[in-house]
Amino acid sequence: MTNYQGQWLKLSPVAIIYFAVQFVKDVGNNLIYLLPAILVGYNQFSENGLAIISGLTALLLFVAISALLKFYFYQYRLTDGRVQIHSGVFQKSHIDLPFERIQNVRFEQPIFYRPSNHVCMLLDTAGSSKLEAKIIALSKGVAESLKQEILSHKTEQASSAETESTETEQEQLLNSRSVQDLVIHGLASNRIWIVLGALAPFFNSLSEKFIAGIENLGVDVDALMASSQYAFWQYVLFFLSIAFVVIAFMALISVLGSVITFYDFKLTRSNDRYIRRNGFFTRHEVVMKLSRLQMIVYQQNWLDRILQRVNLKFEQLGASLDRQSSGTSGGKIMVPSVTQGEANALASDAWPENKLSAINYHPVSKRLAVRNTLIAFWLLIPLAITFIYFDQAELSVAAGGLFILTTGLVILSWKRWGYAMDEQFIYIRKGLIGVNYRCFPIHKVQQTQLHQSWFMRRFQLCSVRLVLACGGQTLPFIKRATGEKYIDTCLYQVEALRKSWM
Amino acid sequence: MLDDTFSNQPILPDNLPTVSSQAFTPLSPMYMKVNLMCRLTFWLIVVSALLTLYWQPWFVLPKTLELYLPQLQLAAGIFGLLTSAYGIIADKNKGYALREHDFSYHSGVIFKSVVSQPILRIQHVELKHGPIDRHFGLSNLEIFSAGGSMHTFAIPGLPEEKARELRSYVLTHSDIAEND
Repeated sequence: MTNYQGQWLKLSPVAIIYFAVQFVKDVGNNLIYLLPAILVGYNQFSENGLAIISGLTALLLFVAISALLKFYFYQYRLTDGRVQIHSGVFQKSHIDLPFERIQNVRFEQPIFYRPSNHVCMLLDTAGSSKLEAKIIALSKGVAESLKQEILSHKTEQASSAETESTETEQEQLLNSRSVQDLVIHGLASNRIWIVLGALAPFFNSLSEKFIAGIENLGVDVDALMASSQYAFWQYVLFFLSIAFVVIAFMALISVLGSVITFYDFKLTRSNDRYIRRNGFFTRHEVVMKLSRLQMIVYQQNWLDRILQRVNLKFEQLGASLDRQSSGTSGGKIMVPSVTQGEANALASDAWPENKLSAINYHPVSKRLAVRNTLIAFWLLIPLAITFIYFDQAELSVAAGGLFILTTGLVILSWKRWGYAMDEQFIYIRKGLIGVNYRCFPIHKVQQTQLHQSWFMRRFQLCSVRLVLACGGQTLPFIKRATGEKYIDTCLYQVEALRKSWM
Repeated sequence: MLDDTFSNQPILPDNLPTVSSQAFTPLSPMYMKVNLMCRLTFWLIVVSALLTLYWQPWFVLPKTLELYLPQLQLAAGIFGLLTSAYGIIADKNKGYALREHDFSYHSGVIFKSVVSQPILRIQHVELKHGPIDRHFGLSNLEIFSAGGSMHTFAIPGLPEEKARELRSYVLTHSDIAEND
């Protein structure tokens, strides 16, 4: 169906914009560190505007030329089952990627590609994250047919039937998210705290600015504090309302972030492939083969629990590598803030036999809580005593209070731990204030580990760690006999069933 | 196909082959000796460095440092001996076992652990030997699964001959041959 086989191809010219934007982004990222210097030198700059303008023009020219050069030197081709990409002006890079090594095909559509309907095609491999190839700027139609070709490569090899490819065109919508769902997701997700954390270094100067700003408005803060004309509760109310405004503002940012990343979220399925599309500015499209799915996770933080929502994650290979990047850019599929019913429907669509919604979890031994409390005790109580010895009553009370708080959290976390196994799957429940339910097929285990400390040996306990392609899962403090049974079952199913994990 | 004899015995859940009942082969005695030697040498260097610092004629040490240096030397010496002694016990507790379809590696004194790696899930195998290992004819066998580099299955201190044997056992295993 395609006649671009075997010859070197150039990108379409829209790619020049992409290279330019990428360049500006890179420079911008580095410029952040220079920001203080620029601010300091601002006065000198403002005196000779001509120099700035000429400098900026030179910069723009430079960007344009470099983008043109990059475009000129970028070429790709597809020959007998492999993708080859040559790129780079001074530092050349050659990528040669066989189709069968490609784990995943993703599309990205930055906003400036939309008018001409082009996409970026990202090819993920099983190896390190650096080995991924990116074909910049393909028109949507070409990209789609390439994707079909790459993904069907393996199946075609196995069964040379061509009939399948005609069938694959039919996509069936599994789930879509309305803006309302995304607002809920934004409110419930803890992005707020990430923003707060990023702002932390500036709190001091921000609050100074804030007070200065209020004073400029004619309010004397010191007098307000000192005067006795307001009752104590009025101050409390005042600060509470300020806190409320700040939190509301943060929530707004978080909601905006959620809507922008997950806008028009659609999860579809065509045969054995799941396709996720989302994004307001940059459209993302991620394709995952069902056989690559390693684990299903239901994630609920405390707000999700109140709102009765679940974040459902389909984890596939190497999710641990992608973890640094946020939930959308990696290859894993996250369905934000679905209801319990929708989550169960999605999970049973992927693995019909799983009982994630109905399984009874066994509790882990309470020795886990005992051990963690003991650790907290030995860390904090001697500290409290030392503080008393040095006449620091407040600090000592703080350490004591911290100990009580940690004990509470330790017990809470122990109550959350749970595990279960049926004929095909292992289930894990864990969490602290939120809860996390995980489910994975036993035959996808890569490695098993049994750990036992001296403390555990005394009580016939052990911890089992089952390593999957998406990371290790731990069952802490379970009975030794149970742990051994789990490991033996895992090894038996892996070795006897000989099912593929990918 | 390497395996021509096909067997399909029914297995009850209680009769699964158990990991814990395997006999673990201890590591080569040479490995323990080399390890002990390395540890002792390291601590000897530390203590002698402290001694040279104490006796050297070129510059005057700060008062507090001069006061506590002998204690520090003693502590370093005792700590070195203790860790070396612990190292012997730890090395004696290490061992590996091989079954038809998987490897197991056992280690730990206070925190014991048994790691099992099904051969079917092996991605690739590596033999590693540093200069010291090479001199004493030792090798580390490293086995990588798709679980990532965090979960590399490694058997240290194998005689080189044995390590090669194990590697070729893995590479010619029917589970792997079938995978390709």
